[in-house]
Amino acid sequence: MFEITYEIVVLVLGITAVLAAFGVILCASPIYCALYLIGNMVCLALLYLLYHAEFIAAVQIIVYAGAVMILFLFIIALLGGKKEIMEPSVQRSSALTFVFLLFGELLLAAGVGPTKPIQGDLTPDVISAIGNAKAVGVELFSRHLIPFELASTLLLVATIGIVCLAKFSNPPARRRAK
Amino acid sequence: MGNQFVLIISSAIFCIGAVGFLIRRNPLIMLMSVELMLNSVNFLLIAYSSFLQTLDGQIFALIIMTVAAAEVVVGLAIILTIFRTRHDLNVDHINVLKG
Repeated sequence: MFEITYEIVVLVLGITAVLAAFGVILCASPIYCALYLIGNMVCLALLYLLYHAEFIAAVQIIVYAGAVMILFLFIIALLGGKKEIMEPSVQRSSALTFVFLLFGELLLAAGVGPTKPIQGDLTPDVISAIGNAKAVGVELFSRHLIPFELASTLLLVATIGIVCLAKFSNPPARRRAK
Repeated sequence: MGNQFVLIISSAIFCIGAVGFLIRRNPLIMLMSVELMLNSVNFLLIAYSSFLQTLDGQIFALIIMTVAAAEVVVGLAIILTIFRTRHDLNVDHINVLKG
């Protein structure tokens, strides 16, 4: 009988994530691209669960697959999801060559073998004893407080930028040229 | 699953995102390709934080998610502003910022 093991689940989820990523860049219509991207993000969230990162998996589902992708779908609905005609060109083939070379180099780097392990002391048992969200919170607010504050400043700057873009938007180009 | 599987899946998704960013002409799909690349790096960080038994990778992934959310929101606002002045969604035709 075919047995479902941890490795097979991880393998299937990883391959599904790669296929969904192909769907994102190959679909002509932006709305299908957004739906494939949601599929990719859900697969990655399940992989995070399998790698003992429950809090990040929940954040991934809520922030990415929820908020960000709804924003994408809303903007696509607002601008109109027009299909894109994809014809081959010199730029496209050179871009493909460049990225294939990059992928080959990354595969070579992945094949180097085990590097020197730097083991911490937070084994999955320790983390599940204190709770993943609590462990992440303690780590975030004790050792990584400055990056956290910088991230909040970044969000504030983004908010102000969007208010400026929405409020002081320019009139259409032709009218302003007169 | 071992280290190599994670490295290969993550680099595959990163390269797919890079291809999408280079060959597509719709700025919305280009932003989605950037999201793919950021997500692949998040996956690598989280898997390695599990292998190495520290939480630093998860903290990095949280910060990357914050930056990505801010980037998406600002990017979509810019695309919307450009579309309101030009009524055109093709990055080949956007060669000056002046409306």
